[in-house]
Amino acid sequence: MTLPELLAAYPAVGVFYTSFVRFLFPVLAGAILWRAVRSLLRAPHTPETWGQLSLPGGGSVPLIHWENILGRGKSADVRLNYPSVSRQHAALCRNEAGEWTLYDLDSKGGVLLNGERVEYSAPARMGDTIDLGGVPLLFLPQTVEERETLEAKRRAERPAAMWPSFLWLTVFQLLACVQLMIAAGEEASPSLPLAFLGLTAVMWLYAGALRLFRCVGFEMETIAFFLSTLSLSVTASSAPGSLYKQLLAIVLGLVLFLTLGIFLRDLGRVQRNRWVMAAASIGLLAVTLVLGNRKYGAVNWISLGALSFQPSEIAKICYIFAGSATLERLFRKRNLTLFIVLTGLCVGLLGLMSDFGTAAIFFVTFLVLAYLRSGDFATLSLICGGAVFGAGIIVKFKPYILDRFAAWGHAWADASGRGYQQTRTMSAAASGGLLGMGAGEGWLHRVPAADTDLVFGMLCEEWGLITALFAVGSIAALAFFTVRACRAARSSFYCLAACAAGSLLVFQTCLNVFGSVDILPLTGVTFPFVSNGGSAMMSAWGLLAFLKATDTRENSSFAIRRSGGRARRKEVRDEEN
Amino acid sequence: MKKIENRAFVCLLLALALAAGMVFFLFRYLTQGGDWASSAFNRHLYNTRGQLTAGTVLDRDGDVLSSAQDGKRTYYDSETVRKATLHAVGDLQGNIGAGALNAFADRLTGWNLVNGAFGADRGGDLTLTIDARYNYEAYQALNGHAGTVAVYNYKTGEILCMVSAPSYDPLHVPEDIETNDRWKGAYVNRFLSSAFTPGSVYKTVTLTAALETIPDLEERTWDCAGAVKIGEETIVCSGVHGEQDIAAAFANSCNAAFAQIAVELGAETLRTYTEQAGLTASYSVDGLATAKGSFDWALDDGRLGWAGVGQDKDLVNPCALMVYMGAVANGGKAAEPYLILKTKNGLGVPSLPHWTRKTAALIDRGTAERLAELMAGNVEKTYGSSRFPNMDLCAKSGTAEVGEGQAPHAWFAGFLRNEDAPYAFVALVENGGGGSSVAGSVAARVLDVIVNGYEK
Repeated sequence: MTLPELLAAYPAVGVFYTSFVRFLFPVLAGAILWRAVRSLLRAPHTPETWGQLSLPGGGSVPLIHWENILGRGKSADVRLNYPSVSRQHAALCRNEAGEWTLYDLDSKGGVLLNGERVEYSAPARMGDTIDLGGVPLLFLPQTVEERETLEAKRRAERPAAMWPSFLWLTVFQLLACVQLMIAAGEEASPSLPLAFLGLTAVMWLYAGALRLFRCVGFEMETIAFFLSTLSLSVTASSAPGSLYKQLLAIVLGLVLFLTLGIFLRDLGRVQRNRWVMAAASIGLLAVTLVLGNRKYGAVNWISLGALSFQPSEIAKICYIFAGSATLERLFRKRNLTLFIVLTGLCVGLLGLMSDFGTAAIFFVTFLVLAYLRSGDFATLSLICGGAVFGAGIIVKFKPYILDRFAAWGHAWADASGRGYQQTRTMSAAASGGLLGMGAGEGWLHRVPAADTDLVFGMLCEEWGLITALFAVGSIAALAFFTVRACRAARSSFYCLAACAAGSLLVFQTCLNVFGSVDILPLTGVTFPFVSNGGSAMMSAWGLLAFLKATDTRENSSFAIRRSGGRARRKEVRDEEN
Repeated sequence: MKKIENRAFVCLLLALALAAGMVFFLFRYLTQGGDWASSAFNRHLYNTRGQLTAGTVLDRDGDVLSSAQDGKRTYYDSETVRKATLHAVGDLQGNIGAGALNAFADRLTGWNLVNGAFGADRGGDLTLTIDARYNYEAYQALNGHAGTVAVYNYKTGEILCMVSAPSYDPLHVPEDIETNDRWKGAYVNRFLSSAFTPGSVYKTVTLTAALETIPDLEERTWDCAGAVKIGEETIVCSGVHGEQDIAAAFANSCNAAFAQIAVELGAETLRTYTEQAGLTASYSVDGLATAKGSFDWALDDGRLGWAGVGQDKDLVNPCALMVYMGAVANGGKAAEPYLILKTKNGLGVPSLPHWTRKTAALIDRGTAERLAELMAGNVEKTYGSSRFPNMDLCAKSGTAEVGEGQAPHAWFAGFLRNEDAPYAFVALVENGGGGSSVAGSVAARVLDVIVNGYEK
């Protein structure tokens, strides 16, 4: 007897099952996420050490980044509290090949390398003496003993094992799949169990494959797979025909995640390709503007036969790639002009497409990146003021743009007009209570864009408020992790990119969730990882690669080249020569 | 690098903004979730015609006023009872927002924050505090007039009777309901959601202010020649009352005397006592906000005289007036009125017992006792005690002028001092004529059924 036949014979079984599992799902979700989030947010781990500077008064300072500022200022990585040393005196940077360069950052006292004056920059080697405004420093490798202690310490801090979470997630997927089949009743198609089985298989395959390469950090992937499971369930409710497509999107997202992560391993390669990425982000948006179709008021889709695609989603990744920079570039080229031009082009193109949600996302990402790069509140306030002014002018000449957001704040006053989607979302969300009506048992999916723009409402309705809050919370947890991980990042490029990607994910979640419940205007952006849609899913996974590239915990991330690898051995050879 | 690490807090700021927004959303969810769920388009609770698919509304005796059978909603058998309870129960189209089917859909279906609408299709029971029989009598007594009648227990807050007219049969909605003047305001529960010119029932407030602020009030007399000229205005009386003390002036409902008292008190004093009496405030009757009364106090003496006798721009909500009557009866503080006696969800779990809340002191205790005496005097001297058998009644009538060529609104408001019948009431017959004769008779018929019972 198959499941559908069993249910047809005993309908009470289905009701009983739903009333039972709706209590189980939040518990499982908690168990899945708890391990991952706790492991991500645990006290900062011991950073990698790349060398040391011995100080004149004895003692030494370890170099824990590839890019280090030497100076008197509080924010210097190697702080030298001598009056003759400038606040930002010099920089000592390492490249992918393990070669170090010493930079004079327009210091007053000057920089000497082995007694010779450094004009702008000079290659430095282990064993060299560095003199900053009369303060002598000795640039040394770590001693073998120190390195071994450190490595032992780092190995002891290995991330929490994620296999229990993967196991719980598998149970979750299985129960969700059965629940969805019960909800679909006789209309349940074989694609439902197959798609869920596919996701489970992909998940374990991924974990297994990476484990073979001795990777041990899987927290972010756990979160992403959990949210992707919700996405598959949302798709099963709203568009059962697209299940395979959504599974394919998850697989493609995972491929993009791996590809981008591995690409990011090599800082040199990354630096060389920033221009390509800048061009790609503009190109993708321009192509959309020329070839795009209008959907829900915004021209952001390109259709190729049966496939439709949203290039602006991928443009986000390119934009962050282009906007992040290494420290070396930051003090060679201090102003933001080119970056502002790039942003202006992107936001302008999005504005022309009437995709104001994505335009807002680009702009906030720009603000985050620009602040991280320059720390200049004044300029950014000016830019914000300019943006508000510009928006004001656009609205003055094209007042119909505001029409789309006219219901904001009083959706209930126009419940059958402009507030249609928001009021339905709130009503459905309240119907779910804490535990939800059961996956597949909702009605919100019949409202247009329910599985994308209003997906938070679907989560609340079918999965309950608790699980919906878990979903939002796990995105916030990614942002918290990013900020912590930055402290041990190798290059500022990774730090900038990860912060930008984390901020983007959080801001996009804000727009999606608060837009759908009438706290913000409804702009029609997606919930990262959860909304039904291929491009959005790939984009979310792609952005996660930036986060993965800041995770320098011992052997935890595939996007980080192992410190015990080739580069390190080369350094040791140099030392011996 | 450290500099950039320090600047990374902006990422945290965004995460905190997300958290703050979620807290705001949760607050709204907790406070308004019931309203969100009770939307006619919510298919977990309503069918495609916007009718609640589950839940039974009962009156305090357990008579079923409305229930769902096979996803279709039915009402009480008698057409008159359907009309008399329409505004309490609610209609099928969702036009009567204050009706239980619309306003209390969440509790009617057993919706709650934990389970949401899960299991709501089983439906729950919602028992109202009203008695269908009392509503029936009140609706019959209104005799086709627009108006409202309500009675409530000022010690517990239970609303025993609540009728608003014009009303219609929810099972046969008149086709001309939107166009014919006969049905004007039929969707409005006048008791909760409207405000009317009070006329002389407002003299209870003027008298309260006078009792407390004019020390020699009880020794003074007023001479009524049928009218008095104050400033530009001539305040006319219903008759020539001659020389009268305060008790007689109140029983005669003498406009001349009360206009002079109002001018002597001044606008500020009257405003203070009107606000204290709760006539400008809104009550929450199981979450249904009552309409606020409104007054204009920027007046010259002549118009202040009119305002002091409940004319000019004075507007009063019947519910607020009834609660004020309850407060006079109950030593200054009355129980806040409520409509839901109890609920039982689909699994048979009953609601917690109602927690009676008292209003603030709407009137000083001593003043209330004196005012009650004077109101009892009205019944004895003017309205006739024999019309109200077995009732220790205190009341004030009102005949509110509402414009040239229109019959005045008839009001009758007051309370019983009987230990076993602690009821305050209000009766309003729009364009009905004389307060005591018309609205007094409506009130008498309803109170008689409540106090002296009826043949079952």
